[in-house]
Amino acid sequence: MGNGSRREFLKAATAGVALGMTGVPDLGWAASPPDLAVISGEPAVAVRKALELLGGMSRFVQKGQRVALKPNMSFASGPERAANTSPAVVAAVAAACMEAGAERVVVLDYPLQTAEQCLQRSGIREACRPIAGVHVAAFTERKFFREVKVPRGKVLDRVEILAEVLDSQVLISLPQAKSHSTTGISMGIKGLMGLIWDRWSFHGKYNINQALADLATVLRPQLTLLDATRALTTGGPGGPGDVAEPRLVVAGTDPLAVDAYGVTVCPWYGQRFTGRQVEHLAVASERGLGLIDVERLRVHKASV
Amino acid sequence: MRTAIQAGSLLAFVGLFALANVRLPEWLPVDLYLRLDPLLLLGAVVAERAWIARALWALPLLVATLLFGRFFCGYLCPLGAILDFFDPLFHGGRRRRPPAPEAAWRQVRFALLAVIGAAALGGLSLAYLLDPIALLTRTFTYVFAPAAAVIANLGLDLVRPAAVRLGWIDLAYLSLPQPAYFTALATAVLFAGIVALGRVAPRFWCRYLCPLGALLSLTAPLSLFRRRATAECTACNRCRSACPVGAIVEGADPVSPRDCLLCRRCAEACPHKAVRFPALPAAGERFSRAGEHGPVALSRRTFLAATGGGLSLATLTEQTPFSRLHGKRQLVRPPGALPEPAFLRLCLRCGLCMQSCPTNTLQPCLWESGLAGMWTPRLALRYAPCDQHCAVCGQVCPSQAIRGLPLAEKTHARIGTAVLKKELCLVWAQDKPCLICDEICPYNAIVFRTVEGHRRPVVIAARCNGCGFCEERCPVKGEAAIVVVPDGEIRLEEGSYRAEAERLQYQFVPHPGDDRFFFSGPDPKPDGPPAPSPPAPGKPRGFL
Repeated sequence: MGNGSRREFLKAATAGVALGMTGVPDLGWAASPPDLAVISGEPAVAVRKALELLGGMSRFVQKGQRVALKPNMSFASGPERAANTSPAVVAAVAAACMEAGAERVVVLDYPLQTAEQCLQRSGIREACRPIAGVHVAAFTERKFFREVKVPRGKVLDRVEILAEVLDSQVLISLPQAKSHSTTGISMGIKGLMGLIWDRWSFHGKYNINQALADLATVLRPQLTLLDATRALTTGGPGGPGDVAEPRLVVAGTDPLAVDAYGVTVCPWYGQRFTGRQVEHLAVASERGLGLIDVERLRVHKASV
Repeated sequence: MRTAIQAGSLLAFVGLFALANVRLPEWLPVDLYLRLDPLLLLGAVVAERAWIARALWALPLLVATLLFGRFFCGYLCPLGAILDFFDPLFHGGRRRRPPAPEAAWRQVRFALLAVIGAAALGGLSLAYLLDPIALLTRTFTYVFAPAAAVIANLGLDLVRPAAVRLGWIDLAYLSLPQPAYFTALATAVLFAGIVALGRVAPRFWCRYLCPLGALLSLTAPLSLFRRRATAECTACNRCRSACPVGAIVEGADPVSPRDCLLCRRCAEACPHKAVRFPALPAAGERFSRAGEHGPVALSRRTFLAATGGGLSLATLTEQTPFSRLHGKRQLVRPPGALPEPAFLRLCLRCGLCMQSCPTNTLQPCLWESGLAGMWTPRLALRYAPCDQHCAVCGQVCPSQAIRGLPLAEKTHARIGTAVLKKELCLVWAQDKPCLICDEICPYNAIVFRTVEGHRRPVVIAARCNGCGFCEERCPVKGEAAIVVVPDGEIRLEEGSYRAEAERLQYQFVPHPGDDRFFFSGPDPKPDGPPAPSPPAPGKPRGFL
């Protein structure tokens, strides 16, 4: 199985890159930004290109605004493990926010493992250190969270969310593409679970797929940029597991569309899936939280 | 001058204490004061009946006391400094009268020393109970450090709104970890009691109770520097009331060197400048005086009673159910802890391991392993896990009851094994899609297997070193559905844990796991009320 899936993956990846390089024309691109920008290349450069195709960071961040960046920063391991967002991606987005005139950027997460170790070993704190106005913080105390109502919630009626996120004008989600032993994959929508205090109830008390859709009704990032430069295809969310290298950055304003596309960039657990086959994405789609069918999206692919 | 030295020593003590944390550089002996303490170290050597390397550090103080008297008590002891600094509070112009009969009280510290010594001979460590350095370090760990964190966090909470508004994010989201300990109140009460005894007499503790002072008193009379009164002395007795330890006996100008702390308060108080502390007696001065080298202020009867008491205590402690249960491993001990009997004899109960522990999982025992185990560290894994990037507890341990190990060795110092309690587990008992233990385990020792058609978490014991992340994070309320028990712990007197773990075929490395197993068989619909949809046949969980 390992061999077959690798061949499949390589074929798919090559095809994807080739498509990107031949520059398949994208209808409507000239008129308005595409739904998704899918860029192949070095992380930092790919991020820049993706932002440019989506209309520039100034589309999302206005002068003087406060920005919250939510990467995966939950595990005390380096980028090679693919359990955290790569530092290069986080730093590139943070820098773009500052260039767009943000008052400040706070890169934040509620880490699963020891906070200090996560900040250090993920490499994210180090990568953001040189950028003025960017702060990296891990929150592990309840006093930093604030309860909000979930008016459209089906199973969740209220939830405690990081106050810094609630008080920021812009939320940008920077998920790492990875497998997840409960939700299949963990990308934009699943990643938002890192912003709430009582995530444990999602595993015990609630139907996690419904609860994630509920959470997505109150946490609406203006931009989701999926780090699929590497993908943890088994052993997620923490790894270690098999790490594929799609070398892609997938960005868009619709977190569901980003996730749905992210599902297709490589096989998960050795199998190919579509967004509709991921239960929490299917639930989010039923609840009208975004577009799930990749073929109906305007995707601009490029290689840098 | 004296006050400055005392303050400096107290600051050094506090500074070293504060440096006992996970970022501690390897060369820095933060346990310096404990290492220097001959009562603790030699007590441990006697109890263990084996030389321990760090006991060498304790010899200089004994030798120095031989030369210079009890300068340690007068100038360096951090507890002595605290008692001196508190003293003005109790003074209040009131004349304090020593408790009567004073001679009987003066026996107490020597009697305690005899009890401790005899108990050590019998293999029971008791020095920790009243040794001032152990007691003070313990008080700092359980009481002062948590209190300091409370105060600092209150301050941070106060400035937070302003900091958020001003955009000082690093300050706004700064919050110190708040340690907390079982036994904190008992420790605080004991310490407060020692300070409050100053109301009865200045340095009541040092005069009557301190067993370390008693040990130093044994060698002090041979010291060079001794108080002498010159011919100008008019016997006005002002020195007598100035002496904090009542070492100046009426009518006798050379004090009892067993009691004198060389603090020079008598010299300061003397209106005639008649008090000197010469290295050798000047011509015409009496070199010695009856009583100066006299016997220790401890009657033969009390000595025999104390020694007998200590020995019987040691013997009785050996015969409690606690000591027989040691073989059955009741408690999860820190990684690298010596085998239980040696661990109990060497542990100084200073609490420095707990102070340095970054997760606060190290907690003091109260009575879980009886008198012999009071204040010894154990892991409270439901409360906090053992950080797998840290090996600081052994590094700071002054007696090496917890061996100082490099991280790779510490990882293999297995402290126990996780055991899954199926009747409590959300997955086993309720078929809920919980994966937290699997997700958090640093070594992938918890994997999902298809059991009778259902995906169920199981523990691969050979990959579990007992770190306890699973137990701490288990979302079940009350007792966790997965708990670490001391079974299978590796405790070595010497030699490599890594080699031992390999011999026993354990493997503690981040492991890719075997998630692929999900595909091997279809998961049929579970019986009973289902949580979310069961995985589609042949698909991993989460996929339709």
